[in-house]
Amino acid sequence: MLEVIGFAAGYEGGDVLEGIDFHVDEGEAVMIIGSNGAGKTTLFRSMIGLLATSSGSVQFEGEDITHLPAQRIVRLGISFVPAERHLFPRMTVQDNLALGAYPNRPDGETLDLVMRLFPRLAERRRQHAGTMSGGEQQMLAMGRALMAKPRLLVLDEPTTGLAPKLAAEAYEALGTLRERGLTVLVAEQQVPLALALCDRGYVLENGFIRLQGTSTELARNPEVRQAYLGVV
Amino acid sequence: MIANLLDGMVLGLQFGLLAAGLTLVYGLGGVLNLAYGQMAVISAMVVLFTIDAGVPLIPAIIVGLITGGLLGLILDLTILRPIYRRRGEARVLLSLLLTLGVAFIVDGFLNWRYPLLGLSIRVGSGPIELLGVRMPAGSIVASAVTIVALAALLYFFRATTMGRAVRSVIEDEEGARLVGVDPGRMLRLILILSGVLAALVAVTRSMVAPVNVTAGFGLTVNALIVTVVGGLGSVTGALLAGIILGIISTFAAAQIGTFLSLVILLVAAAITILIRPAGLLGVAE
Repeated sequence: MLEVIGFAAGYEGGDVLEGIDFHVDEGEAVMIIGSNGAGKTTLFRSMIGLLATSSGSVQFEGEDITHLPAQRIVRLGISFVPAERHLFPRMTVQDNLALGAYPNRPDGETLDLVMRLFPRLAERRRQHAGTMSGGEQQMLAMGRALMAKPRLLVLDEPTTGLAPKLAAEAYEALGTLRERGLTVLVAEQQVPLALALCDRGYVLENGFIRLQGTSTELARNPEVRQAYLGVV
Repeated sequence: MIANLLDGMVLGLQFGLLAAGLTLVYGLGGVLNLAYGQMAVISAMVVLFTIDAGVPLIPAIIVGLITGGLLGLILDLTILRPIYRRRGEARVLLSLLLTLGVAFIVDGFLNWRYPLLGLSIRVGSGPIELLGVRMPAGSIVASAVTIVALAALLYFFRATTMGRAVRSVIEDEEGARLVGVDPGRMLRLILILSGVLAALVAVTRSMVAPVNVTAGFGLTVNALIVTVVGGLGSVTGALLAGIILGIISTFAAAQIGTFLSLVILLVAAAITILIRPAGLLGVAE
């Protein structure tokens, strides 16, 4: 479904990422784990069209999307939930969700699904997004991304700034979405949660992919255990 | 007293409409368009020429509004291109300089070719009584048109998908792109809209007092003051600040003297900025 080949990207000073290869098949949940500054955010931002790609290619369902801007990519069926959420703070929850469906009118069925996944959003329909707690904002960001009816949902550290209980709730929602057939790609520092959700994963370190494998393999790998699971 | 209040409201509504066009372009694109008043003046002159060519009033006004929209589109396609490539402060400064240049060129040309022209549209025959005050029919019609335009503007931003998309870019450009809104397209749309608003202000203004070829900078300065007081990027703020400043300006002109009304406006604006740096309804960055 998604195929990234020889991917390099970065900022004006030089590339942060080099020679990244990975893929996500339809129906899979795939994680990219790595510590702060490993390049996860740069990878997603350039893949999704918010940052320029220096070399390599990104294919989605056979179409080359390497140099498309973010606003075009979302219409092809990839929704991105950034770690900083980028909600519309002075708009209501309802308007934020409605914009998720842009340029179409919000679809009733999808709205129902979002409200069932995140009942708290239903309670706060008329509240401004900027006045909500971090956990609620994360739910709204995920809800807004779902309103576009994506086939692939890409999330950058969805647990950033969340209390453990809320982080677990966010992953529970992702689990439900997976069961409904949504393909998920997630970057995460909270590795145990991601391991429980995903089929496969890649370990990103200093801008290149160091390890890859199924979740079971990664959970057994001594390096992963030491660096990300806190097991000595 | 009531007469001043009503006159102030008439002026204030026009201030609000005028500022809305300027504040939206700034909020959306970080572009401060100092040729804004000249867009209004060119549109007014086009209305004048169209009427002189024998076209009836209403179609001539429509031609003027279309002219305003086209001027916005032309700005977007030409002089704003290099500006869009800059970010942050560089963008604001470059937009100030380039649009100021355009304003001087337009003013120079108009003053050279048509130094004595002015648009004034006569509406109705006699004054109309309102709240015990005899108001000129032109003021009433101008206010009614302005109120309808402002209501349509607010409806557009609050209740339509396109309007929400424009607001989304003002609130969070990256978030807007992530839901599929193209900021460049929205900015073009808003530049066209701001041109139409400038033309509409020129037309309604000319129902109250003549709009001369030299009116450009005065309109821009008024729009700037109202924009700053209302909060950059806020249409409701522009409307609120417009009405307040319109009333202050009218009272100042009546009680103290026209020569001081601009000074008093500036003082009112300065006081607002000291108390609320982001403007009445603006949001601090």
